[in-house]
Amino acid sequence: MSMDHAAAPTRQSALSRYRLLWGQTPQSFRIGLVILLVHLIVAATGPLWAPYGYSQMGTGIPLSGASWEHPFGVDQLGRDVFSRVVHGSHIVILLSLSGTALGLVVGAVLGLLSGYLGGWFDNLLQRLLEALISIPFLVLALIAIASAGPELSGNPILVVLVVALVYAPRIARMARAAAMDIATRDYVTVARLRGESAWSVMRRELLPNATGVLLVEFALRAGYAPVLVGSLGFLGFGLRPPTPEWGLMISENRALIIITPITVLGPGLALASLVVGLNLFTEGLARILGRTVRLGAQ
Amino acid sequence: MTDTVQLLVVRNLTVAYRQGGGWARAVDQVSFSVQPGEVFGLVGESGCGKSTVSLQLLGYRHPSTKVEQGDVLFKGRSLVTMSRPELDRLRGDRIAFVPQNPTTALNPGIRIGDQLVETMVAHGRAEQVKGAAIAEVLKLVGLPADPGFQRRYPHQLSGGQQQRVCIAMALACDPDLLVLDEPTTGLDVTTQEQIVNLLSDLRRRIGVAMLYVTHDLALLSQIADRIGVMYAGRMVEIAPTHEIFLRPRHPYTQGLIASIPLIEEQSARRSRPLRGLLRRRELPAGCPFTPRCDHARDRCASERQELEAIDNGRAVACWRWREIAPIPAETSVASTGGRQSGPVPALSVDGVSVLYGPRGRGFRAVGDVSFDIKEGEVFALVGESGSGKSTLARVISGLVAPADGTIRLRGDQMAASVGGRSRDERRLIQYIFQNPDASLNPRARIGETIARPLAHFFGMDAARAKAALADALHDVRLDASYQDRYPDQLSGGERQRVAIARALVAKPALLLCDEILSALDVSVQASILALLQQLKSEHGIAMLFISHDLAVVRMLADRVCVLYGGEVMEIGAREAVFAPPYHPYTYSLLHAVPVPLRRPDKPAKSRGLVEPKRGGVGCVYAGRCPWQIEGVCETERPPWREAPGGIRLRCHLTLEELSARAGWTAAQDKEIAV
Amino acid sequence: MPILRLVAGRILLSIVTLLIVSLIIFGVLEVLPGDVATRILGRDATPEALELLRAKLGLNDPAPLRYLHWLGGLLSGDFGQSLVSSRPVTDILAPRIYNTVLLSAYAFLLYLPLTIVPALIQAIRRDRPVDHGLSIVTLVLLSMPDFLLATMLLFTFVVLVPVLPAISLVDHSSDAMDYLRAMTLPALTLAIVMAVYAVRMLRDNLIEVLDSDYVRMAELKGLSARRVLLRHALPNALVPTLNVTALNLAYLVGGVVVVEKVFSYPGFGSLLVDSLQLRDLPVIEATVMIAALVYVGANLIADVAAVLLNPRLRTA
Repeated sequence: MSMDHAAAPTRQSALSRYRLLWGQTPQSFRIGLVILLVHLIVAATGPLWAPYGYSQMGTGIPLSGASWEHPFGVDQLGRDVFSRVVHGSHIVILLSLSGTALGLVVGAVLGLLSGYLGGWFDNLLQRLLEALISIPFLVLALIAIASAGPELSGNPILVVLVVALVYAPRIARMARAAAMDIATRDYVTVARLRGESAWSVMRRELLPNATGVLLVEFALRAGYAPVLVGSLGFLGFGLRPPTPEWGLMISENRALIIITPITVLGPGLALASLVVGLNLFTEGLARILGRTVRLGAQ
Repeated sequence: MTDTVQLLVVRNLTVAYRQGGGWARAVDQVSFSVQPGEVFGLVGESGCGKSTVSLQLLGYRHPSTKVEQGDVLFKGRSLVTMSRPELDRLRGDRIAFVPQNPTTALNPGIRIGDQLVETMVAHGRAEQVKGAAIAEVLKLVGLPADPGFQRRYPHQLSGGQQQRVCIAMALACDPDLLVLDEPTTGLDVTTQEQIVNLLSDLRRRIGVAMLYVTHDLALLSQIADRIGVMYAGRMVEIAPTHEIFLRPRHPYTQGLIASIPLIEEQSARRSRPLRGLLRRRELPAGCPFTPRCDHARDRCASERQELEAIDNGRAVACWRWREIAPIPAETSVASTGGRQSGPVPALSVDGVSVLYGPRGRGFRAVGDVSFDIKEGEVFALVGESGSGKSTLARVISGLVAPADGTIRLRGDQMAASVGGRSRDERRLIQYIFQNPDASLNPRARIGETIARPLAHFFGMDAARAKAALADALHDVRLDASYQDRYPDQLSGGERQRVAIARALVAKPALLLCDEILSALDVSVQASILALLQQLKSEHGIAMLFISHDLAVVRMLADRVCVLYGGEVMEIGAREAVFAPPYHPYTYSLLHAVPVPLRRPDKPAKSRGLVEPKRGGVGCVYAGRCPWQIEGVCETERPPWREAPGGIRLRCHLTLEELSARAGWTAAQDKEIAV
Repeated sequence: MPILRLVAGRILLSIVTLLIVSLIIFGVLEVLPGDVATRILGRDATPEALELLRAKLGLNDPAPLRYLHWLGGLLSGDFGQSLVSSRPVTDILAPRIYNTVLLSAYAFLLYLPLTIVPALIQAIRRDRPVDHGLSIVTLVLLSMPDFLLATMLLFTFVVLVPVLPAISLVDHSSDAMDYLRAMTLPALTLAIVMAVYAVRMLRDNLIEVLDSDYVRMAELKGLSARRVLLRHALPNALVPTLNVTALNLAYLVGGVVVVEKVFSYPGFGSLLVDSLQLRDLPVIEATVMIAALVYVGANLIADVAAVLLNPRLRTA
C-alpha cells in the first residue's frame, strides 16, 4: 500500500486524517483490533469490577448453570466462573506477551546475525535451531518444565521462559531468511561496495526492512501463545490451582461438562475469542505491511 | 465494409478490473476491427490496457475483471455473452493465443509434447495426433520434431524454443486469428528477430490473421498492416503502418515515435522524450493525454473526443488534429564526445577470466577480456544475456573475484575483492543497477539515501550535506522536495535518477551502468538517456555502459566492445564498430534490431540458437556463425585483426571478406523503407 | 546422479539433527537438573534409596560416559528399563505406538478430504460468500486450542447427540468396531486441527496457480474448466501443500499428547504425559526421541518428494 502524496489531504484535522487511515485498513484488522481492545480493557480493569474474588468460594450453588448473577455458572467449589475468567485475563495476556517478546528478541538477534554473517556461526546455529524445532513444541515445553524440577513448577516465570524457548528458534528461522533475502538486494550491495561495516548494514539496511517480517512474526506467535499456556495448564504442567488460568479452568471443570457445560464453554469462549482476535489482527497487519502470513501453530 | 467480411469486430469495449473495494477502468470504449489475413498491431506504454483488450478477444473471464460495455464479435458471434463450452470450442481452435512470457505460460510439470497433444485432442483432432501432426507443427515453427524433443519439459528449452512451442500450440488447429501478447518481450534481440521472421513467414504461408500487441513500435512496423495506438485505456489513433510512421497525427503517437532511439542514423539523433508520466488516478474527463500534451487546450481536458475517421483508413481521437502538423520528430546534432584526455586510462582491465561453480566442472562466464576506459569516455559493453557483460561489471566493482587477470584504476592495481580496496578506490567506482526498485532502500528517505555516501566518504554532517543534496538532486533534474519522499512515492524513472544521484555525489571517476535503462518504459528511457548525455558533457565522468540495446549504445558510447560467450568479439570506436567490416556476431546483432519500416529482407539465416562453445579449442561463436568456415572455426582460435578506425576484431575471415559479406548499410535501408 | 547426492545429503543432515536432539534431550533431562536421583525421588528420600537409584541408573558415572551408553542403547534398540514398572521400555512403548499409529492413520484418512474439498470450493468460488464463510470457519477453528476443540466435540457427540463413547479405552481384547468407535472422536479432532491449517494454504496456492500464466494459457487453448482445474491447477498447487502435510505429521506427534489425554486413549502421547508425571526418565527420553525421529523423517520424505515431483529438480 503506497500512500500517494498527491492524494493525501494536506490541511485537515488530525482526527479526519486518522479516520481516513482507519478506513484504509483491512476489515479483519479492524475486527481483530476491537476484540483485542476488549480483552485488554478486561485484563487491565477486570480485578476492579469482577463480581467476586478468583478464589472466593460459596458465591452460589455449586454446579448451577448460567444465570444473570453467574453468567458462566458456578464450579464445584462454589466459585463464580465468570469472575475467575475476568481475573485470569491479565495472567494469560501477560504471560503470552512477555514470553513471545522474549522469544522475539532472542530469535531476531540470532536470526539476523546468522543470516547476514553466514559461515560457521550460521551453520552451527542452524543445526541447533533445526534440532530444537524437530522436537514438537508441546513436547519441548513439557520436558523443559520437567527439567526445571518441582521447585519451579507452577512458577509464572518458568512459563514465560518456556514460551520463549519454544518460539525463539522458530522466530530465528524467519529472521534469518529475511536477512538472507534482504542481503541480496541491490541497495545492500551498494552499501557493501561503499565499504560499510556489518553493523552499519544491519542497522541501516537490514533491520528497517526486516521490521515488517518481525512484527508479523511477533503477532503470529503471540496469537498462539495463549493456546500454549492453556495447553500446559490443561495438562497440569502450567500454573497451579487456584490460579484462574483459562486452560487450567477448562481442565478442572471438564469432568462435570455433562452437568454444567457453561463452566467449560465460558473460559473456552474467552480463550478462543482472544486467539481469534489476535489472528485477525495478525492477518490484517500482514496485509497492511504487504506480506503473507500462514496462521497456525506450526 | 460490413461485418460479414470482417473477421473480428471490437465495438465500444469497456473493461474494468477490481481495485481495492471498487472497479477501475482499464479499457474505455475501444473499437477496431481485423480483416481475414490482416496483421493488426496494438501499441502503447505499459498499463495502457492493450493486454486487457487482447484477452477479451478470447473471451477471457476472470473474477477480478468485467466487461462493462461493448462487445467483441468473432465472425459475427459475440464472445462476451458466449457460454463457456462454446468458448472452449472456439479458443485454441479458431482463435489462438501466444503469451508474453513462454516460461510461465507453459505448465512446468507437463512434457511439451503432451501439452501440444492436449490442445489437439480438446478440439477433436485425436486422429491427427496419432499421425505425424505434432511433428509437422513442430517443424513448421522450426523446432526439432523427434520424440526425444517432444518428451522434454519446458525448463529444458531456451526462451526462444519455449516461445516456438507456444506458437506451435497456437497453430496446431490451424486458427483464423492469432492473438499475440508481447510475444518477444524478454527475449534476446537475435531471438526476437527469429520469432518475428517466423511470424512473417507463417503469415505468408498460411495467411492467418494476427492481432499483435506490443510496446515496441519499431518492431510492429516490420510486421503489421495497420496499427492502433492506445493511451490510458483509450484508442487514440488507428492508421496503416506507413501512415503512422510518416505522418503521425495524434500528439501521443508523435511523441511515441520521437522516443524511439534510431540505430540507423550516423549522427545519433537526440530523441525527443515524451513529457511527464501516465498517472491513472489523475486523468481528466476529456482526452487522457491532456496533462502531457504540448498542444492541449481547455476543451481537451473536459470534452471527450471519439475516434474520428479522416483519410486513408485513418482515425484519430484529437480535437486539434487538423492544426497539429504531422512533423516527425525533431532531429538535433548528436552530443559531442566528452573530454577525453590523459595518457593514463581511468580503468584498465587486463586478461580477466571468471569461473563460476565448482572447480574443474565450473562455468567460464568471462574468458581473457582486456580493455581500457579513458578518462571521460563512455565505453559500452554489448552482447546478449549470458555474454558476461554484468559479470565484468561485478569484477570491476570487486563483488566478484576474477580467476585470472588484473584491474587497474588510474594505473594502480586494485585488490580483487571490495573488502581489500581502499576507501578512495571504492569511492571512485560507483555502480548503478538495472532495477531501480531494488537498488533503493525502501525504508530510507531519498535524502538519507543520497546523504549516506556523503557522510561515509567525506564525513559530511547533516547541515553540510543539505546543500550538497539539493545540488545532487538538481543534477539529475529532480526537485529538492524529493528529499523527504520514500522510494515507493517515486516512479521507476525518478528512482533511477536518485540512484544516479547517489552515485554522482561520491565524485566517482568511473560509473558502472548495468542495463540501467532496460527496466524502464520507452518514453522514460529516452529522458534518462538525455540526462546521461548531459552528465557526460557536464561532468566528464568515464562510464562503463552495459546494454543490450544497440540503438541506445550508438547514441551514447564513444567506444564499443562486443562480447559473446564471455569473450571479446570486436572492440573499437563507435562509428567504426557500427560500420563495415563487421564481425559476424556484430552484424547479426545489428541486423536483428528492429528499425521502423525496415521489413526483414531475408528470412532467418542464422543457425539457430546454440550455446556458446566456452573454453573450447575453436571460436566461441562457431556453431552459430552464419559465415562459418567449415573445419576451421570449430578447431582453431581465431586471430585478432586490426581494422581501420582503431578496430580490433577476432575472426578467421579476412577484413576484405567481412566487408564484402556485410551487405547491409543504413542507406540501403532507407530505400527499402520509403 | 545429482538427485542421489541431494537425497544422501538430506539424510546426512537429518542424522546430524537427530544427534543434536539426543544431546539436547539428555542434557535437559539428565545433566541440567543436577542430581537426577533427588529430582526423581524428591527431597524427602532416604540416602539409601537415593544411592540405590543412582546405582540403578548408573548415575555415578560421568555424564559424557552415560550419554554414550544411552546413545549406544538407542542405536541398538535398547531403551532401558522403566523406573516405575521395571519393564523394558520397548515393551511399554510397542502397544502405545501401535495404537497411536492406528489413530494417526485414521486421522490422516479424514484429513485428506477435509482439506481438499473445502479448498477447492473456496478457490472456485473465490471472493464469494461461500469463500468468506469458509474462511471464517477455518479461522475460528484455527484459533481454537485442540484441547478445547476436543472437549467441544466430546460434548457434542457424547452429551448432545450420544452416538460415541466419552472414553476411548481400548486394549488387545478390543475388536475392530471398538477401535473404530473409540478412535473416531480423537481422530476427528486431530484431522480438523491439521486440515484447517492446510485448507488455508491450499486455497491460497490454488488461487495463485489459477491466476498463473499456464493455467490461463490452458483455458485460452480451449480446455474445459474441469480439465484446467484437475490437470493443470491442482497438481501444481498440491506440491507446496506437501510441505504442510509433513508439518502436520509432525504436529500429530505433539497433538496426540493433548488429544489422547482428553479422550483417555492409551497411545504414545498419553504415555508421555503419564511418564512425565511419574518422572520415568527412560520412558520420557525414548518417547521424545521417537517424536523427533518422526518429525525429521516426515520432513525428509516431504523434501525428497518435492524434488521428485518437480521435473525441474528431477531432471537437473
